[in-house]
Amino acid sequence: MRVAVFRWKAVVPLLLLGAGGLGLWLAFADRIAKRTAESVGTTLVGAQVEIERLHIDLRHARVEIHGLTVASPFEALQNLLQADALVADLDPLPLLEKKVVIDRLTATGLQFGTPRETDGRTGGQADGVMGQMQRWAAQLEVPALQLATGKIRMDRLDPARLSTPRAAAALAARADSARQAWDSRLSGLDAAATVDSARRMVERLRGAKPTDVNLLGDARRTLGQLQQAQDRATALERSVTSGIAELQVGAAGLGDARQRDYAIARGLLKLPGLDAPDMGAALFGSAAVDRFRRALYWVELGRPYMPPGLLPRATPGPRRARGAGATVRFPRAHEEPAFLLKTAELSVQLGAVGAVPPPRTYAASVSGVTSDPALYGQPATASATAPGFRLGALLDHVRPTPRDTAAASLAGVALPPVALPSLPIRLEPGVGTVALTFSVQGDQVRARWPMQWAIWSGGSCPGSPRSKCRPAWWEASPARGSRSARTSIARWPNGCARWRARSSRWLSAGCAPRSTASWTGTSLPSSPRSRRSGGGT
Amino acid sequence: MLLLKLIQSLIRTLHSEGTPGQLAAGLALGAILGLTPLWNLHNAVVFALILVLNVSFPGAMVGWALFVPVGFLLDPAFDWIGRTLLLETPALRPLWTALYNVPVVPLTGFNNTIVLGSLVFASAVWLPLFFASRWGVGRYRATVAERVKRSALYRAVVASKLYNLYRLFRPEP
Repeated sequence: MRVAVFRWKAVVPLLLLGAGGLGLWLAFADRIAKRTAESVGTTLVGAQVEIERLHIDLRHARVEIHGLTVASPFEALQNLLQADALVADLDPLPLLEKKVVIDRLTATGLQFGTPRETDGRTGGQADGVMGQMQRWAAQLEVPALQLATGKIRMDRLDPARLSTPRAAAALAARADSARQAWDSRLSGLDAAATVDSARRMVERLRGAKPTDVNLLGDARRTLGQLQQAQDRATALERSVTSGIAELQVGAAGLGDARQRDYAIARGLLKLPGLDAPDMGAALFGSAAVDRFRRALYWVELGRPYMPPGLLPRATPGPRRARGAGATVRFPRAHEEPAFLLKTAELSVQLGAVGAVPPPRTYAASVSGVTSDPALYGQPATASATAPGFRLGALLDHVRPTPRDTAAASLAGVALPPVALPSLPIRLEPGVGTVALTFSVQGDQVRARWPMQWAIWSGGSCPGSPRSKCRPAWWEASPARGSRSARTSIARWPNGCARWRARSSRWLSAGCAPRSTASWTGTSLPSSPRSRRSGGGT
Repeated sequence: MLLLKLIQSLIRTLHSEGTPGQLAAGLALGAILGLTPLWNLHNAVVFALILVLNVSFPGAMVGWALFVPVGFLLDPAFDWIGRTLLLETPALRPLWTALYNVPVVPLTGFNNTIVLGSLVFASAVWLPLFFASRWGVGRYRATVAERVKRSALYRAVVASKLYNLYRLFRPEP
C-alpha cells in the first residue's frame, strides 16, 4: 500500500499554531524580556536588578526600560544605581545573528547610592569574583591604628632588656679591650731599645775600619732588628685603624638600636611611626583598600566579557532545566561584535532629593562598550564633566594586554565619616574633595585615593570661633618634598603582605589638610604567587 | 498519572492504523525533541516536520516523552561531544565561524555545547532508531498485538475520551 508523504490537513493547524505562537510572543515579549534582563543582570552584577517596565518597540527597533534599580553588591541596604528611563536604539539586522548592536542609549535620572529597604546582594556567578576580591583585600595587612588597651606591661622597657644600653655597654667593652690590646702590643714593640741599639751601632760605624768583619756582621743584625720593629709598628697601625673603624660602626649601630627601642616603646602602645606614610596607612589604609577592592571587583567582573583577540570564547550557557553547557562565540574580522554599545548619553543626578545642597544633574557619555574589542578596534571610554566634578575611564582591551584606567574627582562633596580604629574618635571630614585613580594593566594594579578637607584638632568645631581651633594638616606628596613619601607593600612569599615605609615627611602646620592613600601593586588575585608592592600615605 | 498516560498513548499508538514505518519515523523524530533542549529553533523545524509529514504524531509524542529523561541523563555526554566539536577540533573552526556569522543560524543555538552535542547524537541515532522501531513494531503486531487487543486494558484505553483527540492526528492510510 502506498503511503502519502505529506499530511496536508495539518498545514492549517500548523500555520494557526505558528500565528498563535507569534501572537503569544508579541503579547508576552515585554514580560519575558524583563524577566530575562533581571535574571541576567542579577547574575552578572551579583546583586538584585529590578525593572519596573520594559517595552520592546519592534517597529522602531527600540527597547525602553523604566524604573531600573540595581542593588549594590557591597552594601546591604544601598542601591548601586537607579535610573528613571533607559532607551536603547538597536540596529535590527544584527539581531538575526543573535548580536546586539546599540546605536545610541540614553539614560535619564541616574542616581547612585540611594537607600533601599531590603538586602539586594545575591552572590551567584559574581560571587566568585567577590570572593576573589575579598581574599585579595584580606591579604593586604594594612597596619590599621589599634592603640593598646587595658594594662600595659612596662617591663619590656627595662634598660636591661632594651637594645641601646646593651649595645652601648658592649661597644664600651670592645673599646676598652681594643685599647688594652693596642697598649700591650705597643709596649711589646720595645722601640726605644731598638733605636738605642741602632744609634750605638751608628757611633761604632763612624770610627770603624772597612775591613772589620765582626762589626759588619753586627751592623747587619742591627738592620734586621730595625726592619722587624718597623714591620711590627706597621701591623699595629693597621690593627688600630681597623679597630677604630669597627668601633665607629658599632657607634653607628647604636642609632639603629635606639630606633628599635623606640619601636618597642611604640609597640607597647601600638602607635604607628610618625612618618606620614605610616600615619596615612594607619588611619586610612583599610578604607583605601576597601575602595580599591571595589574598583578591582568591577574590572575583574567586566574582563571576561570584554576579552582581547579573536579566538573562540566559551561562556556559561543559558539557565534552563537541562544542563547549561557552554556557549561559544566565534568572532570574525569585519563582522559585528556580539554586543556593542556605540554611544550612551547619561543624565546623572548626584545628591539625594530634598537634601541640602539640592541634587545636581550632570551629563556623562560612554562609548565603544563591546564584547569583542578587537572587532570594534577602539577602547571603551567614559567621561563626565561638571563644575567640581570630573570623571574619565578607558578600558583598552584592543591590545593583547588589557589596560583599564579610571580617574575621578569630586569637589564640594560631603565626605563620609571615617571611624579611627581603636580610638573613640570619628573623623567627620565634612565637605571636601575626594578623588580616585585606578589603573589595571595586565595583572598590575595601581591605585590612589586622595582626600582633601578642612579638619581641626580635637574634632570639628561647627559654630565655634575659628581662632579657638588649632588647624592641622597632613602632607605626604612625593611632589612636594625632596624625598619619596611612598610606602610599599613588601613581597609576600607566604601569601602575606606587609606595609613598609621608605621615607616621608611629616608636617604639622598650615590649614589645608590633605591625606592620600595609594597602592601600587603587581598581580591580581588570580595569580597569588606573583609579586606585589604597594604604597600608602 | 503521567506514566499511565504514557502507557495509554503507547498502546494506542502501537495499535493505530499507521504502518510500522510511519510509527517508527514519528518515534525517531520525537526522540530528537526529547534528546535536545526543547526551546531551540531546530526543534520548531522538527515539530513542523512531525505535523506536516505523514508520520505518527502519537508516535512522536511517545518518542519525545520516552527520550526526555534520556536527554537529561546524557547531558554530560552531550556537553563533551559539543565541547570536542566546537572547541577542540581546529579543523571545524572555520565552519563554526562561518555559521556563527550567518543570519538566523545562531538563533538555533548550535554554538552551545549541549545543543550541538545532543543534536549530533540525535542525528546519529535517528536511522538506527527508525529501523529498530520499525522492526519492533512489526514484530509486536505480528505476535502479541491481537492478544492485547482482546484485553480489558486495551478496551479501557480505546474507550477513553482522549482517543477522539488522537484520531485527529492519526496517520492517514
